[in-house]
Order: sequence, then C-alpha cells, then structure tokens
Amino acid sequence: MAEKCCEDPDQLSETDARLHRWLELAVPLFSFGGIAIAFLILGQGYLQAFRIASAGCIIASIILAYLAWIRPKKDIVALTTPLYSVILFVLPSDLVPDLILPILYAISLTILLVRLKYRFGKPGTAVTMGKELGGSLKNYIDQTREALKNTSPDTAHIATLAFVQFAQGDYAKVARISNTVTGRDDNPGCDHCLARAFSIVKEHASLLDKSLPRPYTYTVFDQEFANLLAKPVLPGKDDDHEFYLALDNALLMLYSTAWNVSEKDHPHLLACQMFAQKLMDAE
Amino acid sequence: MKIGNVDVKVSIVAVAVFVFFTIFLLYASLYSPEVRSQLIWMIPALFLLLVIPMALNYMSRSEYNNLEPIYEAEAKTVRIKMINESMVGKPVRIQGVVERVYFQFLNRPQYLIADRSGEISVKMFTSSPEDIKVKDVVEVLGQVIKRYVVTGDPVVNCISIRKIEKS
Repeated sequence: MAEKCCEDPDQLSETDARLHRWLELAVPLFSFGGIAIAFLILGQGYLQAFRIASAGCIIASIILAYLAWIRPKKDIVALTTPLYSVILFVLPSDLVPDLILPILYAISLTILLVRLKYRFGKPGTAVTMGKELGGSLKNYIDQTREALKNTSPDTAHIATLAFVQFAQGDYAKVARISNTVTGRDDNPGCDHCLARAFSIVKEHASLLDKSLPRPYTYTVFDQEFANLLAKPVLPGKDDDHEFYLALDNALLMLYSTAWNVSEKDHPHLLACQMFAQKLMDAE
Repeated sequence: MKIGNVDVKVSIVAVAVFVFFTIFLLYASLYSPEVRSQLIWMIPALFLLLVIPMALNYMSRSEYNNLEPIYEAEAKTVRIKMINESMVGKPVRIQGVVERVYFQFLNRPQYLIADRSGEISVKMFTSSPEDIKVKDVVEVLGQVIKRYVVTGDPVVNCISIRKIEKS
C-alpha cells in the first residue's frame, strides 16, 4: 500500500517553522518593545520618543501581515494592518502624539496575532500552491510512479479530464469521460486497477449528477490493489466511510496517473492541487 | 412583518438608530422652537430610517424567493469536502449541522456548516427566513464563491437555508 505520509502539506521545514515562531514572537516584541524604549527615552526628556513606539508598531504590522499572507486561509484584518499603521502613525493628523495610541495598537496587534494563530490555521504553502506539488500528495505520486508509468498517454489525459471536471463539479461530463476508459493497452499489472478507479469515479459522478444518495451496492477497490491506494481502508468503518473512501482513492489515483504520465497536463493538475490535497488529508 | 408572501425583517441596528434619533428629536423639540418648526419634514425623515431598511429587505428577500426554485432545480447535492475553488459559480446543495452563527442581528447572517466530510462558511446577504440556531440540521442552497470575491477560500453564497431536522 502506498504509505500515507504523515507529513502535512502545510508542514514546513524545521528552519521555516523556527523562522515563523520567531516572527510570531516579533509582533509583540516590536510593538511593545518600541513602547518600552519610548518610555525609557521619554524619562530622559527626549520628546520625540513616541516615534520609536510608532516605528515598532509599523514593523510589527508588516510582520503580522506577512504571517497572514503565508496562511492558506487569509485573514483580511491582519493583512490590512500595515495600511492602518501608515494611516495612524505616518500620515499627518490632528491627534496629539502620545503613547496611548501605540499601546492600544500594540494590544490590538497581539489580539490579531492570537486570532490568526487559532482561527486561520498554520502557516502553509499558500504562496507556492499552484506552482509545484508538495506534501503527502507528492509522496503518493512518487510512490505510485513506477506502477503507473506504463499507462498510455491517452488514458492519462482522460484521467486529467475526469479529475479536473470532477473538481469543477461537472459530474455528467465526468461520467461520460470515465466511460471511455476500458483499460485497453496499458500496463497489465495496473490497468485493471485504473479501470476500477474510473468506474468508481463514474459511479459517483452519475449519482452526484442526479443528487442521489449512496446505493445499497457500490464499487470499491479489491484488496489486491491496496498497495496502490492513497488512503488505507480501515476495518470497522461504516458503509458511508467505505463508499466515500473509494471515491477519494479513485480520484487520487487518476490524479497520480495524470501527473506521472501526462506531463503536458501538469498546469491543469496544479490548478486543482488544493482539491487533491484536500482529498488526501480528509479522514 | 409580512408583505405579500415575503417576511420582512428589520435589523436591530436599524431599530436602534430609529430609537436613538426619535429620543434625540423629542428632546430637541422640547427645548428648541426652531426644531419644532422643522418637525413637518423631520418626522417623515425619522420614519424613513425604518422604511428604507424594510424596503431593501423586502426587495432582497423577494429576489431570493424568486431564485430559490431555480437553485432547487439546478443545484447538485455535494458533500462539503467536494466544494473547492474550481467550483466557483456552481450552484450547490449541502446538508449539515450549524456549528456557528454570526451577524444574525445585522440581517447578514453567516453560518459555519459541517458534515462528516468537513466544514464550510455559508454567507447570506439578506435575512434568513427561518431562525437558525447552533446545532440545527439544515439544508443550504447556494452558489460557490470566493470569500473575498477574487481571493480567499471557497464559501457558499446562500440563497436558501432551512431546517430539515429538529436539533
């Protein structure tokens, strides 16, 4: 069985993870640090000390916006904090310069940072998503490359079409496309499994197109193909789980076939990478 | 309030604004003869603070009522996990449990709906015909959109939400 990688797609290298931890720490450090320095300098009679506090808040806002940007789920409030910092601290205003505003702003940034951490997920590959494969999806594709490499380019292209149309929700088209594959002249060791994947996708697409519920009997992968599946079939799960797991595995097999054999289709597959990754991660 | 077959709801914010300006106007007219002479247009203007939100709500609700049968016919029933960026613009039907409700008081409710495959935000740009609460099991008809119009994760722009089972 293609071992499901424990690596999360959004999981970063140790260096990146450390950098992000430092950046998270830098938000309160810069904002409150600037205020603390301003207090010290103010005590010595330097009246422009509030500018240091403002600079700290601006830098902290930029860091917070960067942390929001690298998350797959975007927090528009955190993303716009540099804009607010410019409006509050750079543009001329009638406000009397003092440390009250930087203190309130620093508290707001810290609250936004906590909100970002707990409500908008971990920093991920949002920026690189769409340019290259990553995480457990890449691992699965690498692991099945050898088994799928002899699939005909035509079949691989049909796999691309079926996957992309499925992602787009054009289920009637998926059913039609999948019906054209008969496992004709591909690698004998694998074509049966691929044909089964197409028939599972076709069955689900036909049901989805008519908004029908799970039928009493349905197609699943045989045990002999377990080593080619992305997600293991666990014993003791209910029929619904087995039914939808078969679809996830079938779609991921089409994705892997398309990626490994049909290089010209890579841009289309990369555009649907998020969906494939979601299938890979779902329980 | 029901106008025709449309259940019109005014948000608590619009009512609060109306109450605030009513008190303000009463107070001002008691102490200022100048204000009293202007009451002939101030009182209708005051009522417009209620009438305009009601009219807007009526128009949006009746528009949504007209769209509902179209979505009913065209939307495909999908599991939440299947909703992705490539489906932007597609009508969908989802069923799930309400995990959170936001901004109901503004007549712009947002729901977090979950099924066994995942969870998704459902945004409604008008008031909901039913009072939806956390843990209600609902069916949502809507269109897949991006959270911030051109970017963000996919969410459902809700046309209709109704309870299908008591919580």
